[in-house]
Amino acid sequence: MESYKGKVAPDWCPGCGNFAQLRAISAALAELNIEPENAVITSGIGCSSNMPEFINAYGYHGLHGRLVPVAAGIKWANPDLTVIGYGGDGDGYFEGTQHLYHFAKRNVDITYMVSDNQVFGLTTGQASPTTPIGRKTKNTPDGNIEPPFNPLQYVLTAGASFVARGFSGDIKTLTEITKEAIKHKGFSFIDVLSPCPTYNKFNGYDFYRKTFYRLENNNKEDFYEAYKHASEWGDQPHSIPTGIFYEVNKTRYEDADEVLSKGSLKKTAPYKLTEDDLTEFY
Amino acid sequence: MDDVIVRIGGAAGDGVQSAGLILTKTFSRNGLYVSTYNYYQSLIRGGQGWYQIRTSEEVVKNQGSGLDVLIALNEDALNRHTDENINEGGASPLSGIAIFDGVMITNYNKNSNVKYCPVPLRDIALKYDKNPLLKNTVALGATIASLGVGFNAFANVIREVFGKKGKIAELNVNAAKEGYDYFMDNYSVYKKVKTIKRKMYASTGGDAVGFGGINAGMQMYFAYPMTPASSVMQFFSTHAKKYNIFVKVTEDEISAINAAIGANYAGVRTMTGSSGGGFALMTEGVGLSAMTEVPLVVYEAQRPGPSTGLPTKTEQGDLNQVIGAGQGDFPRIVLAPGNITDAFNLTKEAFNLAYKYQLPVFIMSDLYLAEHVETLLNIDLDYIMDNGLMAKDNEENYKRYEFTDSGISKRAVPGQKGLMHNEDSDEHDEYGNVVSDQVTDPKIRMLSVEKRMRKIEDYIKNMPPTRTYKIEEADYLVVQWGSTRGAVEEVIDKLRGEDIKIGAVEIDHIFPLNPDIKNYLKNKKRIIVVENNYSGQLNKLLKSEFLINTDFIGKYDGEAFYPDELKNSIEGKINEKYEKIKIRGE
Repeated sequence: MESYKGKVAPDWCPGCGNFAQLRAISAALAELNIEPENAVITSGIGCSSNMPEFINAYGYHGLHGRLVPVAAGIKWANPDLTVIGYGGDGDGYFEGTQHLYHFAKRNVDITYMVSDNQVFGLTTGQASPTTPIGRKTKNTPDGNIEPPFNPLQYVLTAGASFVARGFSGDIKTLTEITKEAIKHKGFSFIDVLSPCPTYNKFNGYDFYRKTFYRLENNNKEDFYEAYKHASEWGDQPHSIPTGIFYEVNKTRYEDADEVLSKGSLKKTAPYKLTEDDLTEFY
Repeated sequence: MDDVIVRIGGAAGDGVQSAGLILTKTFSRNGLYVSTYNYYQSLIRGGQGWYQIRTSEEVVKNQGSGLDVLIALNEDALNRHTDENINEGGASPLSGIAIFDGVMITNYNKNSNVKYCPVPLRDIALKYDKNPLLKNTVALGATIASLGVGFNAFANVIREVFGKKGKIAELNVNAAKEGYDYFMDNYSVYKKVKTIKRKMYASTGGDAVGFGGINAGMQMYFAYPMTPASSVMQFFSTHAKKYNIFVKVTEDEISAINAAIGANYAGVRTMTGSSGGGFALMTEGVGLSAMTEVPLVVYEAQRPGPSTGLPTKTEQGDLNQVIGAGQGDFPRIVLAPGNITDAFNLTKEAFNLAYKYQLPVFIMSDLYLAEHVETLLNIDLDYIMDNGLMAKDNEENYKRYEFTDSGISKRAVPGQKGLMHNEDSDEHDEYGNVVSDQVTDPKIRMLSVEKRMRKIEDYIKNMPPTRTYKIEEADYLVVQWGSTRGAVEEVIDKLRGEDIKIGAVEIDHIFPLNPDIKNYLKNKKRIIVVENNYSGQLNKLLKSEFLINTDFIGKYDGEAFYPDELKNSIEGKINEKYEKIKIRGE
């Protein structure tokens, strides 16, 4: 795990849920014996998206909401790489929704982890797509009136083949989930309950420690069971499930595509055009 | 031999374009130069469209003014193209023969410049098949006869086009032969076209960009459909298997450009493309490529805007958009092929430039360039893929964004050992680490900006000299960019023939402008900038760069320039009273 430690120290606030995710990703890569040069972390924009600097791997810190297409482009170019997308809920569930939906549907073989803290942190505390109704934030002084986005149901509906939720206060399980997600052949999605001690005083470690539970003995191949679990949410003990909700074998885009299925384009020399090919012309 | 211009007019769904392409192929396969023009609307059935083919033993550089043979597939087409006051964006009315179905079309406007040659197209076609499009083949047979071309030359092309369907091919050949014979029996050859035994290749601009990409080692193409950029996507889709190209239509253009950046970052040459509207969505990605210094080639095919504009028409209205796309101050290279051969060559150049300088490079096309067919003048398939400076595995103290004299630093791609680093859309230092998160370092910010900008200075020093045309002792100078080149050259030929000393500067490396252009602007009676737009976007760029006075000729009706109309406009400018032209430094 040490080998994954980046040269730059994380600049997150003390108590930020992102630290746990950094540890889980580093530990998962290390335990799976993936060499740092074969791992790529792509991220969007937001507090969480600064992660690539803090990890010793190839990092690509791109645009707000766009980390998934970048990750897919990398994976399609070089399937030998382990590609992990990492960003926040503002990033992935607002601007990134169409990419999330379509790349999940395509079942591209990448892992996408979202640090879901229900708030825009880096822009100092506006309501995000997962902010609960009634929550007062900087831009909802009278309380948020927009229903929250349900990422797990959305991604399930899209057709993702691996759907999970972790909690930053349960690093052990989060690491296990991340390992399974990386190993999974297809689009793996992990929403992480991630406390923001600065801008979300409501859903912190205490709240989730009280309310979260680990899914056990759930039928991971049952879409409707997964969908039902994804609708669970509340402020009572045992009301917010974590763990792997759904995991099925499904054809990856790369396996179905005639060109990509022939092998890594990175390792394949480009086609050499000859005079004969010009007969395609008029 | 003079050139011959044939036009096929009909409704959408009548097979106008297919017929045009068969005729184009017939000329091309028989050693003739071609240049075509596709006039159509954004609909699948109905309306009125046409396809024009100009052919000659000599190079033809544009669709041409004049019209020798009209194939009218309906009454409206016959009346439209024989009308002296034709309103088709500069296209000439017919002064030649009209081939049409004399049984179906009986009530039409007669024009004394036209020799009417009715042929019972439908009746002949019905003898062979019920397919209504077969009458087009009959008409083509008659047309071939009117040009004095041997039937076999045409039959071979029909077999090539319908080759996979042997029976259908023979059916078409027989129907065409009857059209051919009917014409020979009833009329005489109108204008003799001499075929030549030599190998010619003609292509659309879209296909030329596609072939250029493959020749440049491109392996992936990401895009979202939008006319007129889609022809490139279609080319790659059609040939994906043969050339091992991965083509993906993504959920939007934003995804396309970001996926293309990811793929280039990972070390596989990848292109994205769109028309102006779709490219507008890609804007943020342009800056991402520039900031992270990931090579990127973007194909931008213009159509008239703003907004949805005219989806099936042409214009050069996106120059400002392409040179201005993306927030911030950063380097980019914009290429603008002037003809189809150039579209092939500049696509190849675009990839090596993008990889050498690690920045976004644009290939600007337009609907006219993308969709018309033109003979390729010379094709050199030799190509050395130059991926620029690359770091070696385990290089010590590797700095992805090292501040070098040229501004170019060594790239490393994922999978390379010991070169792990961060590439960041935030401003960063030589290692790729963000400079603004904890303590912003103003000095590093300046050095990083300067480093990126030095790359473009290096490019300017190494750019090829600006193209010129008949510039010797020119009193008058035309400056053009992109697809207007063919029309401009023809006008210059004609005016030179009238002893007017005029030449052209042809800008195909349009941004940044080559400083050598200044040398051609001196001591001119007039500098006339020609563009397919209203406001003169290159004109303004030239003025700001070289502080010159210019005249401007713009066309913005959705059609390309025709040589005769352009000649009139240029003569108009030459004959106007002029003010002295000033050049910076004088």
